Amino acid sequence: MTRYLSLYWYFIIQRFKILMEYRLNFFIGSTSTAVLQAASLAAIWVVMRQIPSLNGWSFYEVILVYGLLTMGESITHMFADNLWIIGWNYVRSGDFDRFLVRPIDPLFHLLADRFCHDGIGNLVTGAVLVGVSMQQLDIALTPLRFLYIVFSVLSGGLIFIALNLITATSVFWVMESIPITQMIFNMNEFAKYPLNIYHSGIRILLTWIIPYGFVSFYPASYLLGRDIGPLVWLSPLVALVFIFAAYRIWLFGLRHYSSTGS
Amino acid sequence: MMQSVRRGISIYSALAATAAKARLAYNMWVWADFVVTLISMVVFVYFWRAVYAGTSTISGLQLSQTITYILLARLLSPLIETRTIFFFGFMIRQGQIAVELTRPLDMQARIMTESFAELVVFLFQRLPLFLIAVLFFGMRLPSDPMLWLAFFVSLFLGQLILFLFDWIFACLAFYVTETWGLSVVRVGAGSFFSGALVPLVMMPEWLQNVAAAMPFSQALAVPLSFLSGIKTAADAPQLWLTQLVWLAIMFVLSRIVFSTAVRKVTVQGG
Repeated sequence: MTRYLSLYWYFIIQRFKILMEYRLNFFIGSTSTAVLQAASLAAIWVVMRQIPSLNGWSFYEVILVYGLLTMGESITHMFADNLWIIGWNYVRSGDFDRFLVRPIDPLFHLLADRFCHDGIGNLVTGAVLVGVSMQQLDIALTPLRFLYIVFSVLSGGLIFIALNLITATSVFWVMESIPITQMIFNMNEFAKYPLNIYHSGIRILLTWIIPYGFVSFYPASYLLGRDIGPLVWLSPLVALVFIFAAYRIWLFGLRHYSSTGS
Repeated sequence: MMQSVRRGISIYSALAATAAKARLAYNMWVWADFVVTLISMVVFVYFWRAVYAGTSTISGLQLSQTITYILLARLLSPLIETRTIFFFGFMIRQGQIAVELTRPLDMQARIMTESFAELVVFLFQRLPLFLIAVLFFGMRLPSDPMLWLAFFVSLFLGQLILFLFDWIFACLAFYVTETWGLSVVRVGAGSFFSGALVPLVMMPEWLQNVAAAMPFSQALAVPLSFLSGIKTAADAPQLWLTQLVWLAIMFVLSRIVFSTAVRKVTVQGG
């Protein structure tokens, strides 16, 4: 474990050396995602200034949900972005073979190979949204709440990574996994808003099958003091179950890997 | 004369056909687009139903009008995306631009033909989703043929305007080499000010003015206003005229800007 941590540190230092060669690009990359978030947020603002609440959720309560989701998503964006491009960048080019002959876990090597700075913008945007909405809603940042948020964001990040890992594993059969990853990943759109605006079928789907609800809706409900039962404590457990299952599926897929040769 | 027109038509239709085939070659991507669009349609429908839970009209729009507008905006969203900027960045980085400029075809006309062919294929691929929107999500399309005429004419004009605007914007790639950031700003501004996320009439007045000063709404919100009952067929001539003015300005500007910028070209490596 400590070996992997120090290795990751080494990888990330190397990665930053590369990124710092092009400082302007680093800056643009890490802030550009904030521009896209601004468009969605402006749209929510335009609509919600006309109505008192969205199914009982005020503007800042919706922003809290949105902010938590953005923070969770930024974790996978920063630390596991290679799961998106594993197909064309590693498997199809034959580069993936390189990971298999090294004395470390191939998945670790794949993820550590490229820290993606584009996610930094989303992390900051999400944190600002959570901070501003908590301040506007008079929710004090107690040590307990702070820990709760940290654990929620980390669990949320793991849920994102687990689902992307499961879908990325399809690369060992179909060579290009982005379309499949995209279909499941985009389900997170649902979790940008409080889940109680949807049909109960969608809510169940987003809770137990594609559990993006645990990234945003359930933690936000806890912070807002809404009584929705023990589900608000389940994020870390769900995250661990999914990441464990995803890793097993990945290992299964890895056994079916046959190099492209060239 | 006739011969050169015929030659032009055959060249550009061949280009259009090739672009269309390239789009259709990847089956999985079509499915991914189907699912992703469907998800965003479902999210928007539930969101707007919740918005209208306590009120019957917002800025003069009823729920059924807003749902029709928003579903059309989701279905037609590729119309406000852009590939011109990526393409410029790519050509300049690879040095491809030098080859493009020596071709005996007008570069702008060629790229526009390909872009439009891709868009048409894209929209045909989405036809099943139009059907789903009508059958399951309450999208109500008008039956008056005049409204459809108004829609198609203003859609065509609007797409030309947006293409020429993107052409001007993409010329920045000759000056700054970082095109990723440029395209993100363009996509962010485009999705909001085109009315793709929320009907423009719901915005506060100052934002509506900002949107009117930008070309994006001409490509999406204006055509859609005919199909969602925001505008009537009687408004069409005036809106077409405005679009023609936009088009003339954009066309002249795009020619001037491109011929100035292209002298700046510095091919990176290669």
